[in-house]
Amino acid sequence: MRLKKMHPVAIMTSLSILVLVGAFLSIGVGAVWIPPGAIFNYFAGVEAGGDGYIIENFRLPRIIMSLLVGTGLGISGAILQGIIRNPLASPDVIGITKGAGFAAAAVIILFPSLPVIGLPIAAFIGAGLVTIGLYIFAFKRGVQPATLALVGIALGAICQAGIQFLTVKFPLETNAALVWLTGSLWGKDWTDVWLLLPWIVIVVPVTLFLAPKLDVLSLGDDVAEGLGEPVRKARLLLLIIAVILAGASVAVVGTLGFVGLIAPHIARQLVGNKHIYLLPVSALTGTLLLMVADNLGRGLFPPTEVPAGIFTAVIGAPYFLFLLRKMQKS
Amino acid sequence: MQHISEQSSLFKYKWILTFFCGIFVLIASFIASLSIGAYAIPFADVFKLLVSPDDGKAASIIHTIRLPRAIVGMIVGACLAIAGGIMQAITNNPLASPQVFGVNAGASLMVVAGVVLFPGLGSSTLVYFAFLGAAVGGAIVYSLSSTGEGMTPVKLALAGITVHLFLSSLIEGIVLFHETSTEDVLFWLAGGIDGRTWADVRLMIPWSLTGLIGALFLGKGLTILGLGDDVARGLGQRIGWIRASSAILVILLAGISVAVAGPIGFIGLIIPNIVRKLMGSDYRVVLPVSAVFGAALLTISDVLSRFISFPAESPVGIVTALLGAPFFLYLASRGGRAA
Repeated sequence: MRLKKMHPVAIMTSLSILVLVGAFLSIGVGAVWIPPGAIFNYFAGVEAGGDGYIIENFRLPRIIMSLLVGTGLGISGAILQGIIRNPLASPDVIGITKGAGFAAAAVIILFPSLPVIGLPIAAFIGAGLVTIGLYIFAFKRGVQPATLALVGIALGAICQAGIQFLTVKFPLETNAALVWLTGSLWGKDWTDVWLLLPWIVIVVPVTLFLAPKLDVLSLGDDVAEGLGEPVRKARLLLLIIAVILAGASVAVVGTLGFVGLIAPHIARQLVGNKHIYLLPVSALTGTLLLMVADNLGRGLFPPTEVPAGIFTAVIGAPYFLFLLRKMQKS
Repeated sequence: MQHISEQSSLFKYKWILTFFCGIFVLIASFIASLSIGAYAIPFADVFKLLVSPDDGKAASIIHTIRLPRAIVGMIVGACLAIAGGIMQAITNNPLASPQVFGVNAGASLMVVAGVVLFPGLGSSTLVYFAFLGAAVGGAIVYSLSSTGEGMTPVKLALAGITVHLFLSSLIEGIVLFHETSTEDVLFWLAGGIDGRTWADVRLMIPWSLTGLIGALFLGKGLTILGLGDDVARGLGQRIGWIRASSAILVILLAGISVAVAGPIGFIGLIIPNIVRKLMGSDYRVVLPVSAVFGAALLTISDVLSRFISFPAESPVGIVTALLGAPFFLYLASRGGRAA
């Protein structure tokens, strides 16, 4: 709360520094511990031998992935909370990640021989199909935020039923699907980075241009319309952007939950409700959250890897309850 | 005057008719449940063997495997449907149900935690874990969704699904650290009643009967509560008392169901909505009819579940989810207003 008095730009700068330092340190964390000195040597161009190989092929792409995914999910969550006007909205609850998960599970289980690249494409298509479902069922009723959220939850439930059906019907092929469904940065390499990078790099700047629209929408439909904002169009556009960000992120790392829910909340505590600040800060807090979760997953029980999705929930749940108490008091 | 009395006698006629239709469907599905399976037993034999068992294989399958399973299914279906009905009445919200309210997920988390952390515990102790989890899950969702200006369907659904996701991830975490039991736990988490025994039936009966009878007594209070808190208070209802005893009944009914059968979803959501659509919102009628319909739906789903990967068993929760999720979508596309 005290932080609110800091200028948003100052907060963004300090968060960015925190992300950079965190990224630097987390290169060292894992089954093979690499001391900061060796990391520094690697970046200075000094021959680092085996450590250099690990950094280049395993750690670095993974850190960059957490940056991209944290950004995508954080901003997607902030946008959804803005257009649904409910602090509990997130890509997880309105069915986007479940749609991706169902498509991915279907591909893993039914077409195991498909090339690796097919999985993220299928997952992205799954997220897209859920969005089309959202459009069909919610939009004919005027895109009320409440209907949007409810239809999303229902579509998520349908996808969840489908996932359960697949995992029980084909128990032998399930394990690979389960790892994917928990969401993990394990084994992400440069291919995944290149797959996700263009979406984030192209879409994120667009969201910053749309930030004022989100501010207007959060005032309520009547006020927004009075201010000359074509509410439905704006909401549809923002929804599609949120789906692209979340869908692309989830398609690559699996159904990693809670980042999109919690990152915008932390961001709101820091810089308030103005979306031009809220969106980038959500991206930064999302990145930090994911980085911490992934480091815990890698570092706590080496060489066993705990999926980051478990830790985002474990960190998220207490924070969420804390938020709840705060919401009740105010 | 005559018009009114005619209407009420018509109403009485309608509810008795619906009730007996429900009973008929329930009996039919019960017989199907005893007959259909990896070892098929003809309908005619089912009757005979049920009344006078011989020493044959079919009789022993009916009496030791299929009968307890069918009875557990009926009890669970009835409990979940009543729990859903009570929740929808006190929150005045058609989306309320043990699943949406985080009650199922809370109970599951505690049961899984109990099984993993204290492997020696018997199922009669795990029931209390389930009650505790049900209470905590429900309380969190209730307090989350009633912030601000009242509990709208969308707030309830968002809060419920969020808490549900949180609790499920915690369950996933527990499962992940105890890989040995992964498959069993996953199967249990989908919600199933196969392999349930007479011991489970005996475990369920006291709790579910308490819940059932309590629900019948609450019917009148819940109906009046539907008119709004002020009217109910004016009519001499003790609102706090009704809400508190409703909460306890829901915890008992949902908790015992999850403890025995795992988190079976959507029964508590679908059935009360359908019954209210048929019968109106007099909960003295809605709750018992829901119990019969819930028992019937779960028994039918259980029969259907045997065909998913025949002859292997599949959790019945998958069938209820496949049936229930589209119904949820239907409710949602109406903005969460009553069907």
